[in-house]
Amino acid sequence: MPFLQLNQVAFTYAGKTSPALSGINLSLEKDDITAMVGPNGSGKTTLTKLMIGVLQPTAGSIYLEQRPLAQYSLAEIGRRIGYVFQNPSLQLFCPTVAEEISFGLTNQGCDPTVVEERVGFYLNYFELTAYRNAFPLYLSHGEKQRLAIAAVLANEPEFLILDEPTIGLDAYRKRLLEEYLQKVASLGRGMLLVSHDIAFVNRMAKRVITMGDGRIQSDSGWRGNAAYDA
Amino acid sequence: MMLDPRTKMVMVICLTSLALVYNRPAQLLLLFAVTVVLLALFHFRISAIWGYLKPFLSLMLFLFVIQSIFSPGNEVLLAIGSVPLITTEGLIMGASVVLRITVVIAAAMLLTTFSSRDFVLGLVQWRVPYELAFMVSIALRFLPIFKDELINVVTAVQLRGIELKKIPWGQKLAMYRRLALPIVYGAMLKAQQLAIAMEARGFRAYPRRTYLRRLQFYWADYVVMVIFLTGTIILMIQPFI
Repeated sequence: MPFLQLNQVAFTYAGKTSPALSGINLSLEKDDITAMVGPNGSGKTTLTKLMIGVLQPTAGSIYLEQRPLAQYSLAEIGRRIGYVFQNPSLQLFCPTVAEEISFGLTNQGCDPTVVEERVGFYLNYFELTAYRNAFPLYLSHGEKQRLAIAAVLANEPEFLILDEPTIGLDAYRKRLLEEYLQKVASLGRGMLLVSHDIAFVNRMAKRVITMGDGRIQSDSGWRGNAAYDA
Repeated sequence: MMLDPRTKMVMVICLTSLALVYNRPAQLLLLFAVTVVLLALFHFRISAIWGYLKPFLSLMLFLFVIQSIFSPGNEVLLAIGSVPLITTEGLIMGASVVLRITVVIAAAMLLTTFSSRDFVLGLVQWRVPYELAFMVSIALRFLPIFKDELINVVTAVQLRGIELKKIPWGQKLAMYRRLALPIVYGAMLKAQQLAIAMEARGFRAYPRRTYLRRLQFYWADYVVMVIFLTGTIILMIQPFI
């Protein structure tokens, strides 16, 4: 049973005549790492926004575990799918770095000891401990990126969608992120990585989807499958 | 219909001035109808008016209730004991306030039928200092950005698993209060970055500016401006004659 399923999905932005996406048929499994690549403007980010319900398709249907996505609230989707925006500044809204990580946990009624423990862990893992009380928007792009990822991971969602997660990260921190994502994947949590970083994609993903002109141009299938090997 | 942006600015001034002077719902309704016709003439999507008015609905409702209750009147419709609560005059006053806001918002939409660049150019050619004109256009441009920022934050909060529609009002207010500070601070940070970027590109580096394009009045502009200005003055002084 696919975790996310898109059937003949199309999307046109308001006021535009040509569609940003059309004829998208796609199934994503819960425990696999899939990457989506393609040139700028090919519809990758629009497609991820449709998958988390921020945008509604103009045609076709999207299912989250066989239930129409439109029947879920954003919060329900957010609890199951962690989404890291392409621009991390758009998802940072707390007065301090520590509160940014603890926000979801605290508001979902998590035990304060667990919250503190998890905040400490993510601050340490993503090397943000020194900025614990800093205002998030004062951080550099790379630091904001790490914070946005940490804040989403702290919620422990079942599936992750990361839009350009390696932008602004140096080689060392990219490796740290890779290691962490591999660890997350080994726990049975799947993810969709949207990236231009081919080396990162090749190291991480088992399946690569190529977008172009608002359509899926190619889908490698799973590594080891005939489709992938072809 | 092609008119100079300055002509449209004069039209907005005339329409909003009349909206502020008029007190009767029928007059304001007529003014709104004129504004809608003008918007249609300038190829503004009429269905979009509702989208612009929607955010002000709660404010309008609040003002309608307040005006209805607190405006004095002789024809009492509802009273608590001997204290009149709602009067016909109060209802008329409430409706007038709502219509006045509607006309002002609709008239302001005329300003969206030309670019912010033309807006600055128009003001500068009216001898408004460039810095001031640019500041106004930036402020106008910042408003939708600020709105988008709010939408992004609300979306990001929900995507962290918070059911905003379901949490109690007290908790919701506390959350919004906490979110307001970073949003305002973020906007200030953006303004600061914009100022640096502008100075880096030579803003105010030289006392004299040149413009690639100049706005030009045509006969239609003069005719429309004369009609609007004369009409507005006549309609405003008419009750005193």
